[in-house]
Amino acid sequence: MAVNEKGILNRLYFIAGCMFIFGIAVVFKLLSIQFLQGDKYRALATERVVKDVIIPANRGNVYSVNGNLLATSIPKYDIRIDALAPSLKTFEEYVKPLCDSLSKYSGKSSNKLEKEIRKARANKNRYYLLARNIGYSDYIRLRNFPLLKLGAFKGGLIVEQTTKREHPMGGIAQRSIGYERFDEKGNVTRAGIDGAFGVKYLRGVDGKRKKQQIGKGQWKPLSDANEVEPQDGYDVYTTIDVNIQDIAHHALLEQLEKYKADHGCVVVMETKTGEIRAISNLGRNKNGYYYERLNYAVGESHESGSTFKLMALAAAFEDKLVDTSDVVDTENGILSFYGKKVRDSKHGGYGKITVSKAFEISSNTGIVKAIDQAYRNQPEKFVDRLYEMNLNNDLNLPIIGEPKPIIPDPRIKNGRWSGIALQWMAYGYGVSFTPLQTLTFYNAVANDGVMVKPRFLKEVKEFDRIVEPFKEEVINKQICSKETISKLKQLLKNVVEKEYGTGHRLYSENFSMAGKTGTCQKDYRNKEKLNYISSFAGYFPAENPKYSCIVVIHEPDKSVGYYGADVSGPVFKKVAQKIFIDTPIVDEIETLNISETSIENEYQSFYETAQKYKTIMPNLVGIPAMDAVVLLENMQIDVKVKLQGNGVIKSQSVDKNTKLKSKQTVVLTAS
Amino acid sequence: MQTLFKNIKGDRLIWAIVALLAILSFLPVYSAASNLAYKGGGSNTFTFFVKHFMHLFLGFVIMYGVHKIPYRYFRGLSLVMIPIVLVLLGMTMLQGTTIEGANASRWIQIPIVGMSFQTSTLAAVVLMVYVARYMSKIQDKAITFKESILPLWIPVFLVLILILPANFSTSAIMFLMVIMLVFLGGYPLRYLAVIIGSGILVLTLFILIAKAFPDAMPNRIDTWMGRIESFSNPEDTEADYQIEKAKIAIASGGIQGVGPGKSMQKNFLPQSSSDFIFAIIIEEYGLIGGFVIMILYLWLLFRIVIVAQKSDTVFGKLLVLGVGLPIVFQALINMAVAVELFPVTGQTLPLISSGGTSIWMTCLAIGIILSVSAKREEIKEQEINEDNPLEILSEAI
Repeated sequence: MAVNEKGILNRLYFIAGCMFIFGIAVVFKLLSIQFLQGDKYRALATERVVKDVIIPANRGNVYSVNGNLLATSIPKYDIRIDALAPSLKTFEEYVKPLCDSLSKYSGKSSNKLEKEIRKARANKNRYYLLARNIGYSDYIRLRNFPLLKLGAFKGGLIVEQTTKREHPMGGIAQRSIGYERFDEKGNVTRAGIDGAFGVKYLRGVDGKRKKQQIGKGQWKPLSDANEVEPQDGYDVYTTIDVNIQDIAHHALLEQLEKYKADHGCVVVMETKTGEIRAISNLGRNKNGYYYERLNYAVGESHESGSTFKLMALAAAFEDKLVDTSDVVDTENGILSFYGKKVRDSKHGGYGKITVSKAFEISSNTGIVKAIDQAYRNQPEKFVDRLYEMNLNNDLNLPIIGEPKPIIPDPRIKNGRWSGIALQWMAYGYGVSFTPLQTLTFYNAVANDGVMVKPRFLKEVKEFDRIVEPFKEEVINKQICSKETISKLKQLLKNVVEKEYGTGHRLYSENFSMAGKTGTCQKDYRNKEKLNYISSFAGYFPAENPKYSCIVVIHEPDKSVGYYGADVSGPVFKKVAQKIFIDTPIVDEIETLNISETSIENEYQSFYETAQKYKTIMPNLVGIPAMDAVVLLENMQIDVKVKLQGNGVIKSQSVDKNTKLKSKQTVVLTAS
Repeated sequence: MQTLFKNIKGDRLIWAIVALLAILSFLPVYSAASNLAYKGGGSNTFTFFVKHFMHLFLGFVIMYGVHKIPYRYFRGLSLVMIPIVLVLLGMTMLQGTTIEGANASRWIQIPIVGMSFQTSTLAAVVLMVYVARYMSKIQDKAITFKESILPLWIPVFLVLILILPANFSTSAIMFLMVIMLVFLGGYPLRYLAVIIGSGILVLTLFILIAKAFPDAMPNRIDTWMGRIESFSNPEDTEADYQIEKAKIAIASGGIQGVGPGKSMQKNFLPQSSSDFIFAIIIEEYGLIGGFVIMILYLWLLFRIVIVAQKSDTVFGKLLVLGVGLPIVFQALINMAVAVELFPVTGQTLPLISSGGTSIWMTCLAIGIILSVSAKREEIKEQEINEDNPLEILSEAI
């Protein structure tokens, strides 16, 4: 085989050429990645490597009007152990002490715990649950247990933190305080105040921070500052008064239990401002226990029954078609309209009585007759009058789920109006209101005709800064004339005060209340299912009302009782009574700084003596003993004072104007 | 310094290129090391810097030493080295150290120094010198295929087979380089065809055995099968992940690059300081940086050709080409991998990538080239006068 050098070189040029071409190909590919595919990969670079991390804002707290926490967010921890993380030696060394500590913490037997943890290790469980949903202090405690103290890598400690919304007041007003909950699909449930004001105030704005990946599963912040700083949610101060809420809650609970009722609610509202001081909604679960299930006060509209008589009479008085002194014939307690009967609860009726008495004894026939006579030919006028008193409007509450009131109207063909609609309306059937809507009207009466909107919020704060104060909102400056109002007030007062009044059982000599009972049939179309709604709406004190209150109890056990006065009345009374006993009365003393001349003069002479006598004994006879001692002890020389008796100085052992010596004893005799 | 420069012999431009590459190598290696340091926990990046410096320093010592050796000694040396290399490779295969969880039996521990050493890299240089020796020996003879089997192909295949299980790409590239060298040496093309055919046959046989007894060689076959598959098939694999990151790095570099140490992809590329360093260079120094590296290697190729041209013995020429071209070829392969022109192979970028063995063996090869270029005049004279025992050994076989 002849190898000549030229042959080698030629082949070399060929191979070097190939390599050069290969190099050029690399360059071309490089350029193509750079310029043709560049944008795609540059986009990938940021997409894969930089991500926005959400920094959740702290949700604001919900406070009561007195500053008590009603809802707050607190961190909760799940503690787990990676049973495989510790080395065998470490595991064996610490597993026993760990289980002893855990046993002390949880009360479970140490041996059993050890067995379980050993099993977890045998099963290669790297996510064994030790404690779920524990608070911060417990978390700190667990973190210092043997083995767990060694941390994540040596000890296998796994901590997962979540933020939970807590209601420190427990079950009280839970539903009205509410919550905002998201399910896995991101659907949100918003209940109560927390739900209603979540988006606007409580939630805050989540922050954002760009993070760059610096390895698998490792991210570091891209820049020093957050792209968007998280803004913590504002605190919401509600109008709920914890004390009143507590009273209302327990009064209602007691009565519900006594009457084995299905559910009920109490709302207490400040008359002048419309601020809701208490709202309690209790419903019975399968086991017969009551807890805050639904916001009945806001969301449950029902036929009012007798409490509506107030609205009916308000309209009739205002139209001057009926007056308190008008006499109506209750006709043996039964009235017939188109074959349908209106009955009184008292068999045989009440005979001929005044309209005012008909209201006070809650005579159905009496009121129906009065309204029938007044509006039979002009039912539109009655309805319009109700409209004028804003009874057809909902309250436009922030808490969702409030239905609109129902008032039949002859001009609206929706099937509600009929030949007997007017008469039935007169005693509260065919119309439908929520407890809060009814209360708003009663409160307007208490407030001399000024209808204010019920309010749950006092103010929204960011720390100490008030972000948004809430003032009372007037729905209607004057729902009816003052004259009508005073008549209505008298009627409501009489219901409790008069011995024949349906609410007389609530009467107390110590303080006055006014209100109206209501016993409304529920599901009356089916006699077997017939049930009652017992209610009481009113305000207290009867003169210068401070609070209005409504109590509605659904489906009390008929065998125990169902009249509004029996079932709901006591709750009202208890709330009223306790508020006035438990709430301290504020008396303002204006004459605190009035100066009395005698005191002024005494002080003046004392001051002069003190200035004048520094080393010389003053005349102390006739001045109060305490002043005398003070004078002597404040002298420039150190004098020992002996005081005998008290009161005004009678004599002194050293004569006046004598020069005093140091350590000299002066004996003062007083009587 | 003066005396040092006086003692430097051989092609000054090759010296310059190598020095330039070595100096430039600090930048990307130091940058890419941050990821290693981060993963390694306690150690800091400076240890990597020092380590790289030590590697390069030792490499230059090797290069300097080797270029002082008259190149004719390498003939005999290669003969002595082949059995040693075979033993080393055998040892490596049996006791090989596992690196980063991959069951790649490529390294052995050097007992005293405590460093790990990739034997296949040494084997490559030795084998190329051996082949060059053989090809120069038969230059004037007409040789039959049968005659060449025992002295040429048996050692070649022995070395390759010992490397194959642990490092497919290295043995494939070595095979290619041997083919290239014997082609340069004027080995008949028809024989070459037979050799390539039998090479493929051996490979197939090997894969079949490996598939039949998967316990014997876990992981590796799947790895390189996977790499080749992933190159041809669009589904996402680990290799795709690396390639994608490499391309992202190249694309983000632009023309000027993002600046020294600012590479983002170095954190994601598993072999950012060795196999994928070219991508990191482009990300940090842009196309400009990439072109500079490319030009340096092509220039090195050019200088190697020049040295080969000027060498007046066939052994000199083949020796230069045998050890020189693989350096450039390996560099090109490395760059081709980064730009997705070639499947992922795990070839380092000579002189730039971190890794002691790679640097030392490259320096060894460069030293040989320099020795050829330095001594070509002297060798002419000395060849006539001297009788060297290794020379005699070489002649005898």
